[in-house]
Amino acid sequence: MARWTWLILIAALALPCGAGSDPGWRRAAPGYRWEWPRDHYAHPEFKTEWWYFTGHLEPEDDAGIPGDTLGFQLTFFRLGMVPPGTGTPEAGLAARGGIMAHAAISDATAGDHLFSEVLWRATPLLGGFGAPGDTVIAWCRGPGGTADLWSLGFDGQTFALRASDERRGLAFDLRCRPVKPVVLHGDQGFSAKNAAGTAGSLYAALTRLEVSGSVMRNGAMIRVRGECWMDQEIFTSTLAPDQKGWDWVSLQLADGRELMVYRLFGPEGGEGFGSGTLVAPDGSTTPLADGDFRLEPRDRWRSPVTGAEYPVSWILEVPSAGLDLELRAVMPDQENVSRLSGVHYWEGAVTVRSRGPAGASVGRGYVEMAGYGEGNRPPV
Amino acid sequence: MIRVLGHGLLGLVREGRTLLLLTVVGVSLGVGSVVAIQTLNQGALQAFGGSVRAVSGQADLTVLGTVPTIDPALLPRVLADPAVRDAWPLCRLDAALADGSGDLIQIVGFDVFAPVRYPLTRQLDETGSAADPGDLVAAAMAVPGWCAVTPHLAASHGWAVGDTVPVSSGSRLARLVIGALVDFQRYEPLAPVNIAVMDVAQAQALLARPDAIHQIDIVLAGDEDPGTAAARLQRNLGPGVRVLTPEQRAEDAAGLLAAFRLNLTALSLISVFVGLFLVLASVQASLVRRRREFGVLRVLGMQPRQVLVLILAEAGVLGLLGVAIGIPTGFRIALWNVETVSATLTSIYVLEEISRLVLTPTVIIIGTAVGLGGALCGAVLPALDMSRRGVVELLSPLTMHEGARRTAVPLALLAVAAMTAGLLWFVAAGGGNRYAGFILGFVMLIGLPLLVPGVIRAAGAPLRPRGLGWVLSLRNLTIRLRTSSFAVAALAVTISMMVGITLLVGSFRQTLVTWLDVTIRADVYVSTESWIRAGNEAFLDAELLTALGGRPDVQAVETQRRLRVSTADGRHRVWLSGIAFSAVPGVTLASRLPLYAGDPEAVAGRLLASEAVVIGEPLARKAGLGPGDDLVLAGPDGPVSLPIAGVAFDYTSEAGTAFTTLETFGRHFRSDQPNNAALFLQPGADPDAVVAELQRTHRGRPLVFRSNATLRREVLAIFDQTFAVTRTLQTMALFIAACGLALAQLIQVRERAGELALFRALGATRAQISRMFLGEGLAMAGLGLALGLGGGAGLAALLILVINREWFGWTIRPDVPLGALALEVAVILGAALAAGIYPAWKSGLSSPAQLSRDDL
Repeated sequence: MARWTWLILIAALALPCGAGSDPGWRRAAPGYRWEWPRDHYAHPEFKTEWWYFTGHLEPEDDAGIPGDTLGFQLTFFRLGMVPPGTGTPEAGLAARGGIMAHAAISDATAGDHLFSEVLWRATPLLGGFGAPGDTVIAWCRGPGGTADLWSLGFDGQTFALRASDERRGLAFDLRCRPVKPVVLHGDQGFSAKNAAGTAGSLYAALTRLEVSGSVMRNGAMIRVRGECWMDQEIFTSTLAPDQKGWDWVSLQLADGRELMVYRLFGPEGGEGFGSGTLVAPDGSTTPLADGDFRLEPRDRWRSPVTGAEYPVSWILEVPSAGLDLELRAVMPDQENVSRLSGVHYWEGAVTVRSRGPAGASVGRGYVEMAGYGEGNRPPV
Repeated sequence: MIRVLGHGLLGLVREGRTLLLLTVVGVSLGVGSVVAIQTLNQGALQAFGGSVRAVSGQADLTVLGTVPTIDPALLPRVLADPAVRDAWPLCRLDAALADGSGDLIQIVGFDVFAPVRYPLTRQLDETGSAADPGDLVAAAMAVPGWCAVTPHLAASHGWAVGDTVPVSSGSRLARLVIGALVDFQRYEPLAPVNIAVMDVAQAQALLARPDAIHQIDIVLAGDEDPGTAAARLQRNLGPGVRVLTPEQRAEDAAGLLAAFRLNLTALSLISVFVGLFLVLASVQASLVRRRREFGVLRVLGMQPRQVLVLILAEAGVLGLLGVAIGIPTGFRIALWNVETVSATLTSIYVLEEISRLVLTPTVIIIGTAVGLGGALCGAVLPALDMSRRGVVELLSPLTMHEGARRTAVPLALLAVAAMTAGLLWFVAAGGGNRYAGFILGFVMLIGLPLLVPGVIRAAGAPLRPRGLGWVLSLRNLTIRLRTSSFAVAALAVTISMMVGITLLVGSFRQTLVTWLDVTIRADVYVSTESWIRAGNEAFLDAELLTALGGRPDVQAVETQRRLRVSTADGRHRVWLSGIAFSAVPGVTLASRLPLYAGDPEAVAGRLLASEAVVIGEPLARKAGLGPGDDLVLAGPDGPVSLPIAGVAFDYTSEAGTAFTTLETFGRHFRSDQPNNAALFLQPGADPDAVVAELQRTHRGRPLVFRSNATLRREVLAIFDQTFAVTRTLQTMALFIAACGLALAQLIQVRERAGELALFRALGATRAQISRMFLGEGLAMAGLGLALGLGGGAGLAALLILVINREWFGWTIRPDVPLGALALEVAVILGAALAAGIYPAWKSGLSSPAQLSRDDL
C-alpha cells in the first residue's frame, strides 16, 4: 500500500477508479510471481500503476550550512483506460490510457516548495512506457513551456530520473542505485486495502537507493548526493467508498532499517485500516499489522492556498521494534496543489528524532497526507 | 411642465390613438429591423468557432494550417515554446447524418486528457448521475464512434444513449454511438446545437485520416504578450501554418462576412430611414391636432423653448415605447430568419450554422439609440417649427401648409444641388473610397424626399378641379403639402429601395443563369451529402470513381478537389480548385471558360500545359491581379506561386476563387483526393435515367447524383435563399410606408374636418368624400411610385455598377425583370389602396354639424 493520493487524482480526472467491476483488467491478487527486472516495467494488464521516488539530497559543494538538504519527489503514473483485448481506433493519436507525472523539490533552507505536473495521453507523440529490456520505463513531454522530456530510465542497475519545468525553475537529473534488495509489502507483494483482504494491490519497493546527480537551485544546476526511496504499485481495484483519506510514512533510519506504515481513515468516527513493513539492515522484512504501530498527529498547519489543515509533526511508535519517534516536517508548506486534476495533497520531507530526553536525530523520511480539506475526499 | 407633458400624452391616448399607434409602429419597425439585422450579424460572427469554444473554452492562440490539416508533430514544438502553458490538438469534421435527413453534424475531436473544461465530468457532477465519469472517458477512447451530443440534438432526432447513428463524410459511411448527453450550450451559450464531441483519435479514425489534426489550441502562461508569442511561434512552426490570436480569428470571420453584413446593415438602415419619415409625419400630425392647444399655452405664458422641450419629451416617450416593442419584435424577426441566414453562411461562406441567437446588451443599446434618436430626429423639425410660430399662426390652420408651399421650390433646388454635388464628387474622388457608392446612395436617398414637395406642387399646380373628382384629390395634395410630402417621400424612398434591389437581384440572377450555361456543361454531377452541407473535407473514394468511369453510358469523368487557402500575404481567402479536366468531344475546355480577361484558347492551352491558374473576377479585383501576374498562395510547405493564365467570371464566392489542374493542385497542396465528380454521358444517354439508375445502384451510400438541370435549379435556389432576408426587410419597409400613407390621410381627415363639413353642407355625399380621399391616397401612391422608380433605377445602377463590384467583385449585367417590377407596382398600389380605406371611411363620417364659424 502506498501513494493513495493518486487515486484522488485519478478520480478527479474522471478516470476509471469506480468501485464497480472492471471487466477486461487483471485484478491484483495474492500469489503474483514477481520477476526482476521485468517487473520494474509497466504492467498494461492492470489498470493503474505508479513509480514513486522520494528522497533527500545534499549539495556537494555545501557551503557549510548545517542541515542544508533538499527533498525531492518524482512520480510517473500509468492510467489505463482501454483494457487489453479491446481495440483502439486506427489513428495516430490513439491511446490505451494516459501518463501523468508529478515532480517536487522542497528546499527548507530557502523555504521553497516547487511543484510541477504533466498529464498526457499515452501516445508516441506525447508519452509512453517501455517494455522489459528497454532503457526507458516511462517518459513524457515536459509541461508547457519546457522543451525537455521527463523520463524514468533504467539500465538494469540504476534508475535515471529526469524532469524539468523551466517556468517554475524546477529541474533534476538524478541517478539512483539501489543498495538494498526489493521489498515486497504485505503477503509476498500483495498489499491488502481492507481488513477483509478483498481489495489490494501489488506493492514492491526499493527502500534505500544512493542518489547522485544535479538539481536546479536558484536558477542554476548544482551537484547533489543523497538517498531515496522507490515505490512501485500496481492494481485494478480501488478503495472502499467509506474511506476518506490516508496518511503514509516512509522512514530511512540511521541504524540501517527502513519503516513504511500507512493508515486509511474514514469519516469522523469511521473505521480505519492500517498496515506497514519494517525492513532490517539486511533487507529482511517484518510485516506490521494495524495494531502494531501508533501514528499520532501533533502540530498542524493550514494551507493558505487550499485552506486544508495538515499535521506537520507526529508521534510514531512501533513498540515491537523499539521505536518511539517524533517526525517533524522540514518545512510546513510542502503541499502539492494540482492544477490539472484540481486536487491537493501534502507530500513532504520530515526529520526523525527519538523521543528520549536527548531527542537525537535517528533518520529521515517522507510523509504523504491525502483527503484533507473540504471537497478533497477521494470519490472512490 | 411634467403635468403638461402627462396631459399631452394622455390626450394622445384618448383622442389620437391611431397617431400614437403609428408613431410607435414607425419607431418599433425601424428598431426592429436594426435589431434583427444586428442580432443576425452577431450570430453569424459568433457561430464561427462556437463548437470549439464549447469544448475547450477560449484559447489564447490557435494554430491553423494553410491547408485544412496540420502535422500533429507540431504539437511538441508548440509545447516547447516558453510562453505556452497548455496546448492540445483538435480534429474537426462536418459530417452529414445518413438517416435521410442529410442534416449536418459538427464533430469536434478533442484530447480527453487535455486540461480543458470538461463538460462530461461537470455534467455528471451537476446532475448527480450515478454513471461513473471515468467509464465514460474510457468508453470515449475505446468504443468506436463514441460521442457526446446535446440533449436538444438527441431529442430532435429521437436518440437515446447507446443508440447508433449513421453519418457520412464524403462517400465514407461511419457510425456514431451516442455515449452521453451533454448540454454544451450551458457552458458556451453560442455553441451549436448540432455538435458531437468525441476523443480526438476517434475523430481521426472517423475521418479515415489517422495522422490529421486540424488545429492546436494554446493557452499562454500569461507572462508574455500574445502577439509576441504568436509571432515567435509563427517563426518556429514555419509557413505551413498560421498562428492566430482570437482577435485575428474574429477579424478573419468578420473579413469573410464583411460584405454580407454590410449589405444587411445598409438595408436595415434604409428601414430606419423610412421609419423616420413615419415618426416625422405622426409628430407633425400630433402637432397639427394640438396647434390650438399650443396656441392657448403660449397665450397663457409658455415660452417657445418650453414648447420645444415639451414636444421633444413627448416624442422621446413615444420613441421609448417604440423601442420597447421594437427590440423584442426585431429579435423575433431575427429568429424567423435565422435558418435562411444560416443556410447562406454554410452554403456560400462555408461557415458554421447559427444555432442560437442571443440578444446582447450591445444590440439593445444600438436598438435603443436608433429608436430614441430616430424619434427625436423625426420630431425636432416639426417641434422647432411649432415652437417658433406665433400665437396667431398657431390658432389659424392653413398657414402651416403655406410655409411648406413656400419652401417647396428651395428644397427641390437643394435636393438637385446635393445630388449633383454627390455625383460630381463620386466621379471626381469616389474611385479611391470603398464607401463612395454607399455615400452617393445615401445622398440620393436624402435628396429624393427633398424633391417631393416641389414635385407635388408641380403636379398639382396646373390642375383646375371641377367638382369632387380625382383632380380635386390631386389638387388637395398641393394644398396640404406638408402632410402629403412626408407620406409621398417615405413611399418614394421605400419604392426606391424595393425597385433598386429588385433590379439588382433580377440582373444578378440573369447573369448567373448565363454564367451557368457556360460553366455547368456536364450531364451528371456526383457529390456527397457532407460536401453539400459543409464543403470542406469530404472525399469521393477511388473505387467509386473507377466504377463511374467504367460505365458504358459515361463518356468522360472530371473530378474536382476544392480547398480554402489564403494568399501568402494572408490578405485574401481563396477557394482553390484542382480539376482533372477530361477531353470531351464537342465540349472543349476553352468553350467552358467564362473569361473576363484572356483568350479562351490560349488560356486553356496554358492551363493544361503548365502550372498556370485561372482566377475568378472577385479575386482579380480585390487583389489587383490579372493575366501575367502570379497568384502566390500559402501552401503547406511555404508559398506557392502560380502564374495567372486568365481571369474568369465567377459567382461562387465573393471571397475569391481560382482553379488549376488537379495535378498541379496535388503537387503543391499534398492532396488530390476529389470532392466532386462530373460525368459527361455518351450522346443520346438520358441524364435523368442515368441519375435514377445511379441512385438505385448506390442506395444507402451518402452520395448525391444530380442532373445538369437539377444542379442549376439548386444553384438558383441557393441564390434566392441568399436574398430571402432582403425580402423581409423590403416588406417591413413597405409596411412602414403604407402606415405613412394611412397616417397622412388621417391627418387630412382631422385637419380638414371643417372643409369636409362644408362639402357635406353643400350636398356632397359620404361616398363622394370617401372617393376623394381614396383618390388622394392613390395620387400619393402614384407620385411616390414615379419618384421611387426613378430613385430605384439610380440605386440599382449604383448597386450593380459600383457597390457590387467594389464589395463583391462581381460583374453583373443589368437586366430589367419586368414581371417582378410589375408585381411590385401592383403590390404598392394595393398597399396604398388598403392604407386609404380607413381614412376614406372616416372622412365619410363627416357631418355638416361639424361646420364652425371659423371654417366659414
